[in-house]
Amino acid sequence: MKWDRITKGKLLVTPLVLLALLLALYLWITNVSLDSIEKNSLNGGQVRLYLWQQIELTAISTFFVLVIALPLGILLSRGFARPAAPVAIALANLGQATPAIGLLALLTFWLGIGQRTALIGMVAYAVLPVLSNTMAGLRAIDPTLLDAARGIGMSPVGVLGRVELPLAVPLILAGVRTALILNVGTGTLAAFAGGGGLGNLITAGITTQRTRVLIVGAVLTVCLALLVDWLASLAELQLSPRGLEVHQ
Amino acid sequence: MNFWDYVSSRQDQLISDTFQHASAVFQCMVVAVVLGVGIGALTYRSDRAGRIATLATGTILTIPSYALLGLLIPVLGLGVPPTVTALVLYALLPIVRNSVVGLRGVDPALVDAARGIGMTGLARLVRVELPIAWPTILTGIRVSTQMSMGILAIAAYASGPGLGNEIFSGIASLGSANALNEVVAGTVGIVLLAFIFDAALVLLGRLTVSAGIRA
Amino acid sequence: MVTNDAPITGATIELENLTKRYPGNPNPSVDSVSMEIGAGETVILVGPSGCGKSTTLRMINRLIEPSSGRIRINGEDVTDIDPVKLRRRIGYAIQSSGLFPHLTVAENIAQVPRMIGWGKQRIKDRVEEMLDLVGLDPREFHDRYPRRLSGGQQQRVGVARALAADPPVLLMDEPFGAVDPITRDHLQDELIRLQHELHKTIVFVTHDFDEAIKLGDRIAVLREQSHIAQFDTPEAILTNPADDFVSGFVGAGAALKRLNLTRVRDVGIVDFPAVTVDEPLQDLFDRFRSGGSNEILLLDRRSRPYKWLRRGDLMRARGSLARAGALVSHTVSADATLRDALEAVLTDNGGRVAITGRRGEYVGVVDMETLLNSVHELLEADRLTALEHREELAELQESQQHQRSALEGGPGGGAADGAGGEHP
Ligand SMILES: Nc1ncnc2c1ncn2[C@@H]1O[C@H](COP(=O)(O)OP(=O)(O)OP(=O)(O)O)[C@@H](O)[C@H]1O
Ligand SMILES: [Mg+2]
Repeated sequence: MKWDRITKGKLLVTPLVLLALLLALYLWITNVSLDSIEKNSLNGGQVRLYLWQQIELTAISTFFVLVIALPLGILLSRGFARPAAPVAIALANLGQATPAIGLLALLTFWLGIGQRTALIGMVAYAVLPVLSNTMAGLRAIDPTLLDAARGIGMSPVGVLGRVELPLAVPLILAGVRTALILNVGTGTLAAFAGGGGLGNLITAGITTQRTRVLIVGAVLTVCLALLVDWLASLAELQLSPRGLEVHQ
Repeated sequence: MNFWDYVSSRQDQLISDTFQHASAVFQCMVVAVVLGVGIGALTYRSDRAGRIATLATGTILTIPSYALLGLLIPVLGLGVPPTVTALVLYALLPIVRNSVVGLRGVDPALVDAARGIGMTGLARLVRVELPIAWPTILTGIRVSTQMSMGILAIAAYASGPGLGNEIFSGIASLGSANALNEVVAGTVGIVLLAFIFDAALVLLGRLTVSAGIRA
Repeated sequence: MVTNDAPITGATIELENLTKRYPGNPNPSVDSVSMEIGAGETVILVGPSGCGKSTTLRMINRLIEPSSGRIRINGEDVTDIDPVKLRRRIGYAIQSSGLFPHLTVAENIAQVPRMIGWGKQRIKDRVEEMLDLVGLDPREFHDRYPRRLSGGQQQRVGVARALAADPPVLLMDEPFGAVDPITRDHLQDELIRLQHELHKTIVFVTHDFDEAIKLGDRIAVLREQSHIAQFDTPEAILTNPADDFVSGFVGAGAALKRLNLTRVRDVGIVDFPAVTVDEPLQDLFDRFRSGGSNEILLLDRRSRPYKWLRRGDLMRARGSLARAGALVSHTVSADATLRDALEAVLTDNGGRVAITGRRGEYVGVVDMETLLNSVHELLEADRLTALEHREELAELQESQQHQRSALEGGPGGGAADGAGGEHP
């Protein structure tokens, strides 16, 4: 695999900016005197735990989103399952029209608090973009290409694996990127369902009226979100089939 | 207490929350549409400016709304100011992006024709390009509106107005008799509002998109 | 197409009462087509839009499953075998080339060989060979993506992909339909050359009758529901259309179209006094004086036609060859059709045109008179063969009738398909 599509600028700018931001945050927070509440919220182990929980929530929920939405999207674009497609899309749309916080709260009543509840809410919320993009990507393929693929003797699995999926990759990846961003965002609300994560710092900052706690939580979340988006953008660049690039 | 009893007993509060939710989203959307289409119109003719505008608004959209609220509170305090700011900022991206895409997508031959009959840049924008780009822009507005509904719910934790207050009060009193009713009322109310707004926007589209370019 | 000694690698195709009914349509879209196609033959299906050409073609590799009827390839009944395996033995090229945009030219061509399990090196060699075969430089095009090819180049790659696994049968559905007329002409010439080397069995769909005449050994003119109106050689269809439908389809100017079927090298090329520029001027004057001819063709050092020289031209130019005479503006290759030659003769104000060989060297001249004579002879010959053909058919039918009356009551009288005709 060649890496020539990722330019130095794309590779370096975002991480450097984020690094500078985190460094500034660290220097500032270690050089101001904190009161006991702030010290309690911001001790190293605690922050690290929240950060780790946040990453865990994002990674696990994205994994399940992919495991559910990709096969479902492929299945629903097969001829025999077409009639079910509008139903699935309508359900996924409803999931997204529900405010994330309301969805998490409702799930809490049903399943009790905990990481599992938060994860289920996050997955339900992020399935739509991957599902609809997978279906749109597969549907957008020129039917004469599929005719040609079948005509030269590809089996149905061959057509899917060697023609349909590669051609749908750009749209699928865009959906995955959206889902990732949604998951980082909904992850901050996991705190309300007892799922942990950086949302705890922000919540603590608001309820105890401690601006510094609030800022640390918010800045860390922002950095994580931008980092995840940056990684996703690199993956998008690298994984899109070469013949489909818009310019040379 | 069953759900309907709850709703009738808290009627006034619910109506006021619903009204506030709708009004906040509506007002923020008006501001966001004016700003977003404005930014789009200012930047679409330059490749660079268009890219910067989309990148900037795109970065804001990447930031989790709860974190953005967290960043706004130290500056703007609690309540309405950070809520409105966050809502407008988030609503911008889809509108800016779709404005740029829509305005750029206008057939160059049409732009040429408009210039040929002596329209100035502004007249061209207002009388030719914006009407043609309008369906695309409207799609962006629909996406933004739906997003705003959910973000406003979260802003209730920063003392913002609207139905989010029902949800958070339910979360806060987990286990109490009315907790579930509050959450359901808040959530369902927001979903209903989202559908009503979307339907209104579709209707607006029917009324404002020229019959000549309707799909 | 003119056949040569290259081995025939094609297979026979037999279609027997092939029928396709689409759901929701009471009438079949293809109604009981029977057709026998010989090994190494190029058969063109022509007919108006929607008459079922594509459906018929796509039933051969079972991209469309026939509702009834049988398909046999080289005698083997393939109506019920695994369609995926069947398609790997049949090349398939379509209008928009159908190249996979995410794969390079080489990867596109390698698809079928890979599926049937060739080794890496063999595939690699084959890809180079195929690119060469369709006239694309492997070094230049090997790693290109389809979007960076012109329409004509894409079409070539499409043909290369179809032929990569050396299938005996090639199905082509309006493969040159989407390219400009000049490129189309080139691609057609290219296909003729290919077929000259490969002798595949080709079934080719088009609605351009001129293309059909140019490429086909036999042409099947189809009317709605794929009913065969006439299935015969281009010559026979041009000179002896079976009915009004066919003559309507052949269109005006059948005699002119006939000119497309004969090559210049097959008619009388006349000698013409010619001198190379290197010969001494004196020889030139001698030629004029002795030969009694008023005109001489001057050839350049590589014996390519250079100038037409008339008696007196040299005098007027004061003996300077550089200034004398008229430059040769048109030449026609011996491989060109009579129609090209006629075109050139009509444009030339001398009423004749120089004919060149493979490397552009001078081989003779064709003028109006030779052309006219050739055309008359051709048409006469066509008429005779057509008559013979008709008599043969009548005899055949008669003898079959005898057989049938002899077999009356017996099971399975072998019904002959009159339109099916026999490969001449
Ligand atoms: N999938 C389908 N379902 C129903 N009817 C079809 C289908 N495909 C083709 N037909 C019908 O079958 C008939 C023959 O179609 P076909 O594509 O074979 O025509 P064609 O001769 O190739 O035409 P063209 O020259 O326009 O390509 C047409 O009347 C068409 O409407
Ligand atoms: Mg067709």
